[in-house]
Amino acid sequence: MASFGRFIRLAVGAWALLLLVTAAPAGAQQVNPTASAVKEQQLLQELNRIQGRVSIPDQRSGVLEQPQGREWREFRDVTLRWIGGIAILGMIAAIVIFYLTVGMVRLEAGRSGRTIVRFNAFERFVHWLTASCFIVLAISGLNITFGRPLLLPLIGFEAFSEWSQWAKFAHNYLSFPFTLGVVLIFLMWIGGNIPSKVDVEWAKRGGGLIGHDHPPAYRFNAGQKMIYWIVVIGGGLVAASGYALMFPFYGTGIEGMQMAQIVHSIVAVLFVAAMIAHIYIGTIGMEGAFEAMGSGEVDVNWAREHHSLWLDEQKARTGPNDGQPQPATAAAE
Amino acid sequence: MARMKFLCDADRCIECNACVTACKNEHEVPWGINRRRVVTINDGKPGERSISMACMHCTDAPCAAVCPVNCFYTTADAVVLHSKDLCIGCGYCFYACPFGAPQYPKVGNFGSRGKMDKCTYCAGGPEADGSKAEYEKYGANRLAEGKLPLCAEMCSTKSLLAGDGEIIAQIYKERVMKRGYGSGAWGWKTAYRETIES
Amino acid sequence: MLIKRTNQRSDRRGSVAESLAGQAGGLDRRTFLRRSGLAGGALAALGAMPVGSVRKAEAAAAGPLAAGAVVKKSICTHCAVGCTVTAEVLNGVWIGQEPSWDSPINRGSHCAKGASVRELVHSDRRLRYPMKLVNGQWTRVSWDMAVNEIGDKLLQVREKSGSDSVYWLGSAKMTNEGAYLFRKLGAFWGTNNTDHQARICHSTTVTGVANTWGYGAMTNSINDMRNSKTMLFIGSNAAEAHPVSMQHLLESKELNKANFIVFDPRLTRTAAHATEYVRIRPGTDIPVLYGMMWHILKNGWEDKEFIAQRVYGFDDLRKEVEKWNPQEVERVTGVPAAQLERVAKMFATQKPATIIWCMGQTQHTVGTANVRASCISLLMTGNIGKAGAGANILRGHDNVQGATDVGLDIVTLPFYYGLAEGAWKHWSRVWEVDYDYLVSRFDEKKLMETPGIPLTRWFDAALLPKADVAQKDNVKAVFVQGHASNSITRIPESLKGLKALELLVIADPHPTTWASLAVEAGRKDGVYILPVATQFECTGSRVASNRSMQWGEQIVKPIFESKDDLEIIYLMAKKFGFADKMFKNIEVENNLPVAEDVLREINRGSWSTGYCGQSPERIKAHMKNQHKFDLVTMRAPKDDPEVGGDYYGLPWPCWGSPEVKHPGSPLLYNNNLHVMDGGGAFRPRFGIEREEKLPDGTTRKVSLLADKSFSKGSEIEDGYPEFTLASLKKLGWDKDLTEAEMATIQRVNPANPDAVSWAIDLSGGIQRVALKHGCVPFGNGKARMNAFGLPDPIPVHREPIYTPRVDLVEKYPTLPDAKQFRLPNIGFSVQKAAIEKGIAKQFPLILSSGRLVEYEGGGEETRTNPWLAELQQDMFIEISPADAADRGIKDGGWVWVSGAENSSRARMKALVTERVGKGVAWMPFHFGGWFGGNDLRKNYPAGTDPIVLGESANTITSYGYDPATGMQEPKVTLCQIVAA
Repeated sequence: MASFGRFIRLAVGAWALLLLVTAAPAGAQQVNPTASAVKEQQLLQELNRIQGRVSIPDQRSGVLEQPQGREWREFRDVTLRWIGGIAILGMIAAIVIFYLTVGMVRLEAGRSGRTIVRFNAFERFVHWLTASCFIVLAISGLNITFGRPLLLPLIGFEAFSEWSQWAKFAHNYLSFPFTLGVVLIFLMWIGGNIPSKVDVEWAKRGGGLIGHDHPPAYRFNAGQKMIYWIVVIGGGLVAASGYALMFPFYGTGIEGMQMAQIVHSIVAVLFVAAMIAHIYIGTIGMEGAFEAMGSGEVDVNWAREHHSLWLDEQKARTGPNDGQPQPATAAAE
Repeated sequence: MARMKFLCDADRCIECNACVTACKNEHEVPWGINRRRVVTINDGKPGERSISMACMHCTDAPCAAVCPVNCFYTTADAVVLHSKDLCIGCGYCFYACPFGAPQYPKVGNFGSRGKMDKCTYCAGGPEADGSKAEYEKYGANRLAEGKLPLCAEMCSTKSLLAGDGEIIAQIYKERVMKRGYGSGAWGWKTAYRETIES
Repeated sequence: MLIKRTNQRSDRRGSVAESLAGQAGGLDRRTFLRRSGLAGGALAALGAMPVGSVRKAEAAAAGPLAAGAVVKKSICTHCAVGCTVTAEVLNGVWIGQEPSWDSPINRGSHCAKGASVRELVHSDRRLRYPMKLVNGQWTRVSWDMAVNEIGDKLLQVREKSGSDSVYWLGSAKMTNEGAYLFRKLGAFWGTNNTDHQARICHSTTVTGVANTWGYGAMTNSINDMRNSKTMLFIGSNAAEAHPVSMQHLLESKELNKANFIVFDPRLTRTAAHATEYVRIRPGTDIPVLYGMMWHILKNGWEDKEFIAQRVYGFDDLRKEVEKWNPQEVERVTGVPAAQLERVAKMFATQKPATIIWCMGQTQHTVGTANVRASCISLLMTGNIGKAGAGANILRGHDNVQGATDVGLDIVTLPFYYGLAEGAWKHWSRVWEVDYDYLVSRFDEKKLMETPGIPLTRWFDAALLPKADVAQKDNVKAVFVQGHASNSITRIPESLKGLKALELLVIADPHPTTWASLAVEAGRKDGVYILPVATQFECTGSRVASNRSMQWGEQIVKPIFESKDDLEIIYLMAKKFGFADKMFKNIEVENNLPVAEDVLREINRGSWSTGYCGQSPERIKAHMKNQHKFDLVTMRAPKDDPEVGGDYYGLPWPCWGSPEVKHPGSPLLYNNNLHVMDGGGAFRPRFGIEREEKLPDGTTRKVSLLADKSFSKGSEIEDGYPEFTLASLKKLGWDKDLTEAEMATIQRVNPANPDAVSWAIDLSGGIQRVALKHGCVPFGNGKARMNAFGLPDPIPVHREPIYTPRVDLVEKYPTLPDAKQFRLPNIGFSVQKAAIEKGIAKQFPLILSSGRLVEYEGGGEETRTNPWLAELQQDMFIEISPADAADRGIKDGGWVWVSGAENSSRARMKALVTERVGKGVAWMPFHFGGWFGGNDLRKNYPAGTDPIVLGESANTITSYGYDPATGMQEPKVTLCQIVAA
């Protein structure tokens, strides 16, 4: 404390001296650069960052100090882990509970034995391209946030670093096909995913997940539309923010990248949570659903129960007795 | 226990860049990697000050906290170092660093980063002190030879101080007391949560 | 949180502090503090603090990687501060630099350049072997072939056009030995056309200062400024040009609470640390200084006793000062009266005060007058010849002071003996060569005694009509060894000169802009490049700005096929057939003259300047004992067996033979000390009395000797003239001469030994005896405020040739056209024509130029160093925000700069900054390798192009030469800037 007292005296003395100097009679060009020196704390209080001139071309290095990295660190190390943990674990928990209580949504009418083409080969290719990229991106991405506390202690520094290095490469490279997939999904299915009144009714009836209700739906019901828009908007956001991180300083500074990382990571964990639900419903959550993206053909009864209006449309196009609409021919028309 | 710190006395710094080239020289730092740099605030205006900045070897270093692979470690002298073997070049330390210290060689594709490089306080890296492997990855290990970082040792005006935090703080305080002015221990509050304000 | 390996390591290592605890032999507290950048008594409060931050130093200076490395010491080659460079060498490879803690000059420090000199040596862009231009292609040749072909061609030019048609351009980068031999080569070749960088940096200082008080050098030292109470920078940007000096200057500012006043058109990095910054219009140094003197005289702040005792011509000066009332000063310079009065008061009353200058004062058509005005300010306030005072003239190249002293110059033989017959005879005695032989080497005896052509005008000498060049013929061949071409003004015209030459030889570690511009000029042949070693690959002495001589060891052997300067000079002499005569008393080993022997010859001939006591042995002992010299006085303790009582580097004058053990003179003209302690007096160099005309038409004789002022312990307690045998006899001191000394004096002038003076007495006896009686060998005179003999005996303000203030030209015109240095100087006509053509309207911005900390001189060497080049990658021009806004110019954007002559233009980046005021633009002068917007990289021999190229400032600079020295004018011209 003694030194602190001396310190105060020192500060007071310094200020008094400065005041004395500045109080000297002023001429038009009087300049005392020493008296008017910039002070760190003052600059930080004013701008929360200190920036100046550097002679090297790398102008970003002109930022001397930007302490807001601290807030970002808090977000990354604490907030994000909570958000991600809650979103992902919460979703899994919800699904487990749902599955245990409700179980798989069955085909009430059983299989008809007749199928109808729901997604053609190209659609399925795009879906699986995006989906497989997404899975790798999700795992490698989650590794960045959760690997250090969860995986590293299990496998050790070297192995974890090696794995993370590959995961980083995979994350960076697969972002491109993923982005392409998102763009194609957007263009390919935008027609069926414009929200309409039917969706309101569908939503009111809870999508028929519980009980034996089958609210009508066109090719995509409101739930699927939600997934579509999550993929398009979420995918767009993660792609945009991801590229901002991958190409540092192209149009962004440190703050920009911190923001990009925040957007990227929040959207990504929510995206992952949503996709877990999507995967559930497309696999063990609903009988007959996987086939849509599997073989591309669904049972007519499945179509009737879940996409009655779409089935009607298809029938209208191909004739009432023809259970085998031919998209190829349709395309040829 | 020694707690190594840097302190740049902005009332002495003249932006001569000796610290920058001394660093390049000592560690053969390649073009484009600036472990240390000098920034001039209020350039050309009265009150202009230049400050030499590198990794400040923060207390509770943010880079270490956010590193996804935990490649940072703090030596017994409180120098924050990292392992290039573990680093994956993700850039997170750069987002967290208040001082712009981490540098990345452009080795990967599409602007992606290579292994991070930064000021080592002339203390090398995890390899054996003074080994060839250490030199190639991190540069010279002066601390192990009983020397301080060359940037500070070669500073033209003795503006950049390196050494035990208490000693250099005392040196700075004495200077300020003697001359009657000082623009602060730049970066200390951010790096060490303390300051030697004048 | 520690990773595994570190955990192990941590166990092994522990804390540095722990490892130190209780250990003897670790770094002690003093060493630590020094390594923290501190020493001296300012640390009392630290006494109670625990030691302990640095691990015990290993036995070797370096770690296992550097085990077995040898430590070598040399001197930094980048400015004249004189920083010691400590090199670690392993198996002939320079592997690292360490701080040079022991040097009292740099105390471990370096600037960006000094901290990166290692790269200069092992750069892979260095010249590797001799080359010649064949049909526009650079072609490798052998050394033998190069020397033979060059020699034959030079002899052919000599045959046809005379010896003066070869221009020998030497270098401030050479050691004393190299520069001396280069001048000697010129003498044996038969020409005074031997010049070097001093012409373009401090020739005006040398002339102006020597004409004031005797010697043309920094009077005090950088270390001595630690005693100053007021430091006035006018024309110096020490922070960028001499960064390590700022260590001493800022500490002086802090510890003495010294006034740190900066006059500059730019708010430089130096000005940023000023306690008072005064922005002036470029080219108005004299009005500013007179403006200060006006206040000093008005308030009676002048040092009346000093003026009465030690100054001549005060009344003449007063008349000029009276013209500069505050209104006129403000009208001309833009400096408000109140500020100038305040500064004048500080300068005159808070003493000791010093003026620090550099090229801001010297590089002007009024350069000599500028520095004279500065000297006069010091004389008026008695701020000279004292600790903490003086003219602290910071010189630019590592050996520019030495190269000037050893006479690599157009106006004198070594050591300022001049060119008169007596001077030639003195040197013929020292060289032990027939005077008549030397005469025979010249085209005519008259030219032997006529100053040569300044390097600033070599191309005028090549291009002007033969009749305008006052020698046998134009310059036909240029042999340049270590000088940039882009640091010379008027590049568009030098390009024509390059084309006109019959032969160009470039001897340098780098091809330089001589090569790239010669190709650009359209040359296809007649150009040779010889690779020269850097000083780090050579041995020899160099003189720092403060006149301290330091010895550089060879750090590594010359790399590739490059050769030592001395060897190249020897090879040329051998080719010309006079090597035996020229190296009569110098041992030559394997074509390489031994540096120590050359210095010994210098010792034997340099009585006039006091290089006589600086034997190689003494200088080497100083390098070995650097740590013994005091930081402020630079003196070693008297009881030291090796360097006892010496001042560091034996700053000249170091009188007498080495055996006299004169300690050197750290402060010139200091009469507070005994002459054997480095004391002195003003040198009566311009007669002992002068006949003055009085207003009533009569005349009176005024003494030029000091009046009742004398150095401490002098047996003559008044002024006295220089010592000769006659004056010793008169005093009865001739009895103190030994027989051997008398015999030598007789040999010097058998006809009239009484006329032999202290300066030509090869025995040193006259000096020894004078010193014995406490007297200064050169006498005790007055300094001259009125320097009769100069074009402007009392400094007169003259507007720059190209000035924006055309309204002032009528009242303050430049001097009339005249013939100077064998060439016409038509400055007056150019100034007149510029006004008639309205140049100031077309080119409204003042253009000045200066230094960047990262680069030096023409910059080819430093721009080749990646560690430096990375820091300044583009040529730029500083422009004020107001001027930039008017022109739509953005910071970092490309601009075209056009100049007032030759339709010159250059493309570079804009740096919009408030460093410069409105109406002023500024460029660094280190760039080269572009011309008129074209990149000339292809013109360099493959692989030797510097990393960074850019437009040269001197593409835009224009006509203007100081009448007294031929100094160029790169500091003020006019330009226009437009966005590109």
